[in-house]
Amino acid sequence: MEFVNPEGLRLDGRRPMEMRQLRAEIGVVSKADGSAVFEMGNTKVIAAVYGPREVQNRSQQSNDQALVRCEYSMANFSTGDRMRKPKGDRRSTEISMVIRQTMEACILTHLMPRSQIDIFVQVLQADGGTRSACINAATLALADAGIPMTDIVTSCSAGFLNGTPLLDLNYVEDSAGGPDVTVGILPKLDKVTLLQMDSKLQMETFETVMQLATEGCKAVASYIREVLLENTKQLESRRGV
Amino acid sequence: MESKSSMPSPSLIDQQVFPGDVVLDMSKITSQTIKLGGGLHQDGDLISVTKAGVMRFSKPNKYWVESSHKQYVPSAGDNVIGVVVDARYSINFYVMYQNFSVDIKCSTLAFLPVLAFEGGTRKSIPKFERGTLLYLRVVKADAGMNPELSCRDASGKAANYGPLKDGLLSSPTCPVLESLGKKIAFEISVGLNGRVWVNSSTPPAVVLVSSTIIQMAQQDESLLHDQLHIV
Repeated sequence: MEFVNPEGLRLDGRRPMEMRQLRAEIGVVSKADGSAVFEMGNTKVIAAVYGPREVQNRSQQSNDQALVRCEYSMANFSTGDRMRKPKGDRRSTEISMVIRQTMEACILTHLMPRSQIDIFVQVLQADGGTRSACINAATLALADAGIPMTDIVTSCSAGFLNGTPLLDLNYVEDSAGGPDVTVGILPKLDKVTLLQMDSKLQMETFETVMQLATEGCKAVASYIREVLLENTKQLESRRGV
Repeated sequence: MESKSSMPSPSLIDQQVFPGDVVLDMSKITSQTIKLGGGLHQDGDLISVTKAGVMRFSKPNKYWVESSHKQYVPSAGDNVIGVVVDARYSINFYVMYQNFSVDIKCSTLAFLPVLAFEGGTRKSIPKFERGTLLYLRVVKADAGMNPELSCRDASGKAANYGPLKDGLLSSPTCPVLESLGKKIAFEISVGLNGRVWVNSSTPPAVVLVSSTIIQMAQQDESLLHDQLHIV
């Protein structure tokens, strides 16, 4: 299948190094301590953060750091063919763990000992890159909840199809079976917190693809900063400062 | 947290900051001592921001990040409304349960010592059930400990602290009470942790007052001033 046509355009009309449109909204779940919706093109994800709160399972309580928990789920209506998936299937357990580990890297857990932070992410619309969108949504929700973080984590994916590196794969490109590199970075500290790859890639091409994904992460980071800035401005004007 | 350092770049004060922003580099040290407040974190030589908000500075040397979050952070002297979670106690001081456990909407349960009541003795310990509402004062709120509560004011008097009977608990935020009070007589306890308890002579009045407050809280503040005239 041809993923990049001779004019250099992808199936959805993007150029190889172009990202999908980003949209984010903060404070969408009124009961949660922090929440956000994050959209990357047609992928739409909602995240809610509760805590830091009392640890539910006493045996998991730790005296020097907070317990971070994450639950990832996909809405039944999120994909084209409506499928009833069992709740704890392997894929969602794996993604829950990935998101948890990524977020744990940036949360200052030692500041909130003997408490737990719950992150719930649900995919409302799936069109590739749900993992990245979930991490971005969780970051925004954590920032909204006022949980101390060393830096914001942002994530983006990149792939390699038809001999061209492609940024931010959509569902069709994702399911083509080519390599799919998902990267999560701490943009200010310039550290990588997440790196996953499906299938194989040559060493030299991997470098360029990863570089591309990192650039994507930085673009997401600047967008997230904008959203937080707008939110802070709103809070200020509401206080009448 | 205290550290010696130079002034931060003055351009950052009263500006929006984000997690990860470095506001101070301690390697450029002068002799001045500074104090760091909430939302700032020292990591080696660098002072970085941990919350999204606005950088604030107070003379002579205090720095903090002003941010908004829904979770209540207890601080000594706050008046709060709590719900009794565990009412078991024992006056035998060799075993557990010398405290009632109370939920005050913060990250851990708060403790209310069984003797922290006006004229509290071993014989006068009040009997609470799970779910009892209490109007309380935060006595101690240190990091790494459960906050400690009291039903006495600083001079040892009950001073309106104690159990709240009947009524309705809600958690709004708003300043409409005076206008409401001109029309209806009602009793109210407002906790700094975002909880508000309302009671009145008849159930319809309770519902009216609390639903008005909740509705008001949902309005934008600019609208709120117009609404005050209507009430």
